[in-house]
Amino acid sequence: MTAKKRKVTKPPIRVDAPGELRGTGPSDLAETRIATVLGLKQFISAPIGTLLIKGLAGTGKTTVALEILKAAGEGKGAYLSSRVPKELLETHIPAMKKTIEQQDFLDIRLEDMTSVLDLVMQLTKDKKVKTIVFDSWDGLAKELDPKERLRAEKTLMAVANNSGAQFIFVSEEPGATTIDYLVDGIVEVVRAEEHDRALREFIIHKLRGTKIPQHKYIFTLLEGKFTFFGPYAIPDYSKLNRFVQRPDIGESYSFGSGALDRLFGGIIPGSTMAIEYDEHVPYPALRAIELPPIINFLSMGRSAILLPLPGANDERTRSILAKSSGETAVNKRLRILNVLRTSDIKTADLPKNATPKEIHEIVTNETARLREESANKSVLLVKSISALENLFASDLDSLLEVTSQEIITLQQSHDADILFLPKDSPIRSRILSMSSSYATLFVKDGTVLIYGVKPHTGIYALQHLEDPTSPSLTQLV
Amino acid sequence: MSSSPTASETDDFAAAFTNAVHGGLDKILGQSGTAAVLSHLKMTDNLPDPAEFHKQLLALFGAKGTISLERAIVKDLIRRLKWALDLLSVDDTFDFSAIVRSIQTKAKK
Repeated sequence: MTAKKRKVTKPPIRVDAPGELRGTGPSDLAETRIATVLGLKQFISAPIGTLLIKGLAGTGKTTVALEILKAAGEGKGAYLSSRVPKELLETHIPAMKKTIEQQDFLDIRLEDMTSVLDLVMQLTKDKKVKTIVFDSWDGLAKELDPKERLRAEKTLMAVANNSGAQFIFVSEEPGATTIDYLVDGIVEVVRAEEHDRALREFIIHKLRGTKIPQHKYIFTLLEGKFTFFGPYAIPDYSKLNRFVQRPDIGESYSFGSGALDRLFGGIIPGSTMAIEYDEHVPYPALRAIELPPIINFLSMGRSAILLPLPGANDERTRSILAKSSGETAVNKRLRILNVLRTSDIKTADLPKNATPKEIHEIVTNETARLREESANKSVLLVKSISALENLFASDLDSLLEVTSQEIITLQQSHDADILFLPKDSPIRSRILSMSSSYATLFVKDGTVLIYGVKPHTGIYALQHLEDPTSPSLTQLV
Repeated sequence: MSSSPTASETDDFAAAFTNAVHGGLDKILGQSGTAAVLSHLKMTDNLPDPAEFHKQLLALFGAKGTISLERAIVKDLIRRLKWALDLLSVDDTFDFSAIVRSIQTKAKK
């Protein structure tokens, strides 16, 4: 399987949504513009006229500043560059070329502080300019002694306050400087590493008059645009779209999701895929991986067996699957086998203390029965290892033995296996070593993230932007 | 430009006032800020008319900022003239133009 970059057709959170930022009225206020870009619009209750964007080189400070500049509206912003000429900036951030073209670009690399302050006074004089970006502020301020720097900064604060313009200071100075105490808001952009994969965070250190619900957010610079991710939002299953069947990808079965197919390249018949997750991953996020392949299998006339995660609501799962694949397909070609539910054990004529082998027998028999119902004689098995572990906690060796037997048997068939594996599972490493592919889900800053280990992929944010059962994946770059 | 008063400056009110404008602004805005403000107000060479100066500062810094700057200028001027600082009562309404005129009149006596 080959990892493929997904093409983003719909940005997760549009910071440049038409009608949100331009024009007049409340959305035209400086504080609203900053808050909108940072996703805090609803929490702002006091003016934020000055903002400091801090971070090391290459973290995305300029892109964030340009997004705020863009929000000022065409011709209402000025970008004062003490670092690079216009042409070079446009080359560095091609996605922002239009914004740079539409605003005043002022090259101040060879200007002194007096000229810059005078320039700012001129820009704000007629109140046409709403946002001024100083990139970078320290590039200019470092030329001054500390006392003089503080006074120049105070001058700017007074001008910003009186003119109503918004000043955005970009800084690469890691520690607190004098300007930290003067500005209304401080945002730091950080490049972090998780599981050998780079991701970006922005940290809100200060935003005067603003109730900050969360201080850290994940963001991406995919396609050169700043896109942040709020905390994972549980999808509304009442808004189910009609499922569009996804055909096989060559020899592989589709995951029933374009995003998952692009990431993992499909499910190879006879293969086992492990989905590892930690305790923070919300169930609906797992369901976004669990359900699409089942729905797709059923919609293609094939069969599926589901051993749900502990705590999953079987009726709800059945109802979602029935809405997407039809009642007949669910009744005829799907078996939801809840190994923790006594009724299922009774139905299967199992003794009260069923062994892994006995459960294995049920699954084998059900697989054989459903294979006969399946259009291509294949069955998709989606199983929760956690549910089995809970049932056979005292006999994990037998469980491992049976699972490995199943994986070996499956390799000879056209069936496919998806195993949901908790990160703290005592049989984790054994299961992972037997799986032909393996992906990990975890939560950072409230955002659900996924990446492939086998095959190796980049890291993606998981949301539900198009359909509640299907994942939307946005690469973090 | 010097921010410390000298005997010769106190003799010449115009020079003292010009220096006080520089000194007062400098104390708050720093050298760069002062130079930028005076350049922006086109008052680098000429002695500013206090009323016009007040109006322009008001446009640039608003009421609060302007009063801080004007107090600093008057304070500097009084120091240059080696007078007591009684003129600068915080509680009274601060009228920059009137205070400068008053200082000028007293200086002539």
